[in-house]
Amino acid sequence: MSGTGDLQTRIQREILELASSINDIVQKFKELKKPLAESHEKVPRATEQLDKINEQTQAAAHQMLDKVEQISQREEELIQGLANIKDLTAKNQLADVGSLVDILIEKANATVNDVFTIMDALQFQDITSQQMNHAASLLEEVEGKLTQIVGVLHGEQDVSEPPISKKDKKTRVFDPHADMSDKKTDQSEIDSLISRSNNT
Amino acid sequence: MADLKILAVDDSPTMRRIIINTLKRAGYNEVVEATDGKDALAKLKVEEVNFVITDWNMPEMDGLTFVTTLRSMEEYKSIPILMVTTRSVKDDIVDALKAGVNNYIVKPFTPDTLIQKIEQILAG
Repeated sequence: MSGTGDLQTRIQREILELASSINDIVQKFKELKKPLAESHEKVPRATEQLDKINEQTQAAAHQMLDKVEQISQREEELIQGLANIKDLTAKNQLADVGSLVDILIEKANATVNDVFTIMDALQFQDITSQQMNHAASLLEEVEGKLTQIVGVLHGEQDVSEPPISKKDKKTRVFDPHADMSDKKTDQSEIDSLISRSNNT
Repeated sequence: MADLKILAVDDSPTMRRIIINTLKRAGYNEVVEATDGKDALAKLKVEEVNFVITDWNMPEMDGLTFVTTLRSMEEYKSIPILMVTTRSVKDDIVDALKAGVNNYIVKPFTPDTLIQKIEQILAG
């Protein structure tokens, strides 16, 4: 009978320890709720940034391609024009050469302007670079949280401790609101603000 | 215009090239480049610059800290400073004005806007 009593006591003890372990696990899962929720929120923000980058690089590429097409067309017209000048000078028909040259100069200037428009459109590279750094930063935070969660589940870490980074993180500098077209304050409002500031 | 030597500060090499190209098209041929505020302060020790164009978000030393530092230095108390940045939140603009920038452009900018703001600042 005492043997049965010892066994019962041991079983009860085991059950109590098991209950305590289960309770600890439940507690840990409750504590993991916050880092999981934070990770869950950051991933859509990262994908949103990536979508924005896709849209804005595409828009910039199209803008540049439009100009490239116009330049190509104009270059063909310039070549034809120069051929006509050669023809006229060969025939000693110099009266029309002057006006033809003026037209060609106008086309060449338009090409120069288009080239500079392309160059200015390349500002997208700086802006999308900041957007990419923002997305990468969000994903690194998620990675950190997931590493923390795995550490907690393995009993290697407490959820209150900061995530342990397994690699050196790149310093990321960016404006989280960087955008090609969507501005919090547009240039005319900024100009008014500066004008008011200078007058006070 | 002939005497103007401009310091262009931006961590993006693409943006520095665009700014320099825009300035040269407008006849501002003397331009010095820096990659961030810390590099800019080092360049100022060896170059006689009389106009600064600076970005905000940069590593090592950001634009706001750079402007604040410049304004605390006797020899740069009055140097014209134009901030060119993606930051468009009103509070940021106010902070930049408080730090001592003379004017502020949000990227992407048109070449005309950049030159216009420089000329506005120079006209006082």
